[in-house]
Amino acid sequence: MSTSSRLFYVLKEGFLQLFRSRGLSTAVIVIVASTLLQLSFFLGLSLVLDHALGSAREKFQMAVFLAPAAQPSDRQRIQALLLADPRVASVGLVTKEEALQDFRKDPEIDQMVEALGENPLTDSFTVVLRKDAVEKPDELVAKLRQDPQIEEVDYGKNEWETVSNLTHVARWVGLVIGGFIFLTALFIISNTLSLALWARREDFILMARMGAPTWMRWGPYLWEGLLQGLGGALLVVLLMEALRRGAGEALQKYAGLDMLLALPAGDWGRLYFTLVVLGVFLGFLGAFLALQRKWVREIH
Amino acid sequence: MLAFFKDSTRKTVWKMEAGIVPISLFRFLDGESAHMQIQAFHLTKVHDSGVKVLDDAYFSAPEGSFVAVLGESRTGKSTFLKILGGEEKPTSGVLRIDHKDIYSLSEKERHQWLSDVGMIFPDLKLFPDKTVEENIHFILQAKGASGEGEREAVAKLLSNAGLEGKASSKPSVLSSGEQRMVLALRAMIFRPRLLLADDPFQGLDEKAIAVLFRLFHELNRSGSTVILSTQQMAFLDASRNNSLPISWVKLEQGKLEPLEEIAS
Repeated sequence: MSTSSRLFYVLKEGFLQLFRSRGLSTAVIVIVASTLLQLSFFLGLSLVLDHALGSAREKFQMAVFLAPAAQPSDRQRIQALLLADPRVASVGLVTKEEALQDFRKDPEIDQMVEALGENPLTDSFTVVLRKDAVEKPDELVAKLRQDPQIEEVDYGKNEWETVSNLTHVARWVGLVIGGFIFLTALFIISNTLSLALWARREDFILMARMGAPTWMRWGPYLWEGLLQGLGGALLVVLLMEALRRGAGEALQKYAGLDMLLALPAGDWGRLYFTLVVLGVFLGFLGAFLALQRKWVREIH
Repeated sequence: MLAFFKDSTRKTVWKMEAGIVPISLFRFLDGESAHMQIQAFHLTKVHDSGVKVLDDAYFSAPEGSFVAVLGESRTGKSTFLKILGGEEKPTSGVLRIDHKDIYSLSEKERHQWLSDVGMIFPDLKLFPDKTVEENIHFILQAKGASGEGEREAVAKLLSNAGLEGKASSKPSVLSSGEQRMVLALRAMIFRPRLLLADDPFQGLDEKAIAVLFRLFHELNRSGSTVILSTQQMAFLDASRNNSLPISWVKLEQGKLEPLEEIAS
């Protein structure tokens, strides 16, 4: 028999079996869907965190304060040095006059400056780093601090590290919980599919007794598991899309949160794709594990 | 006209030609099957319950023979056929089919061997979720005998077995006699080198028995070794009256004794 004939047989039989055992198929689809729904919470959280971190990165600025004794030539040299650095996206000069003007907008600071009688500020550069350099600004900061004409480099190290660490922790926690849910789901799905297989054990034994090769016995069953996983995943994608549209608008309208609507369509697309892949994988692997049961393997 | 045969690569080739399909379906088989011979010595089978159904039995079925095993109910006919079909290992003794011990074959070899064996066993039921047609197509695929034109060939075969219009029916809507006929067709359609039929006529009406008997005979004439069991003496008389070349053996008290003098 040709490979295409075998493939046709497997696809057709698996598809038919899905409908023949509607009850069990529905149970598996619901289990896959409920698992993916939980997983999608963690995937969605990771996506929102990624998006928030990305926005923070875009806003990340470094302030390079020059020494009070720095001359215009030093200013030009340091600006050139910054612009030549591959990690730097843009450099903006803030003169001490501009900085003072900005400070004096606050009445209290204005009074303090008035009492001082002179401008205590220095010239500074506002440096925006490239996205790929944002994670590791320490090296650049250390290099700048070696320059005697640079008094201080402020890049909100603590805040940045806090955000970054929190994101990493959230991701790891999400990964561990998600992994646990995935394994639990795999266990439940493979057990449910084992029950489905047990219900059909007579057919399985008949097939083996009639000399049906392994691909004829296993192929349709694996395909059926894959289809059930796909069904569960598509159900979740539909739910998620409804949630994105309904809850996203409600969150924005009543709580002023745009965390769902602000995510680009591409990110949602990737999330849905991941869910479908996970669903298919869960169904297929669940069916495969069910076929590894001792009583199934003993049928030759 | 309907014909199907195995070519030099042992794949079944189906041929359909316009015309009336004769009642004798296997008359138009082309080619010859490689015969399968069976030899058994000191064959003993003791069930887990302690009942000895075969006791140092001897059995020989030459290539292309037609053997009928006659015996009362519960004398071990089914067990004997299952032993020949590789389904129940004998407790002791030697069994050689085509000079091979079928119980020491590898899984691949066993599958290869099974592709040449057709079985009609009461517990080898039809798949309840599949239609009659699907049940028959399944065996063709399982035996690697699927091919072009098989749909038409199956339809003609069903029609000639009195099952026209039943192709799309599920087994549950068939009568027990019809189910038995489908089981028999399923076991023969791929033209096995060895056909094992355990009490195949039970529950069939006279017309169906005649059709089935003729099918067995045609299959045997095309080269297949046919071994069936029955407890109905009437077939013995019928085969004698029609001078059918059937070797009769009787299974009694664990021994297989030839009844050649009756058949001749």
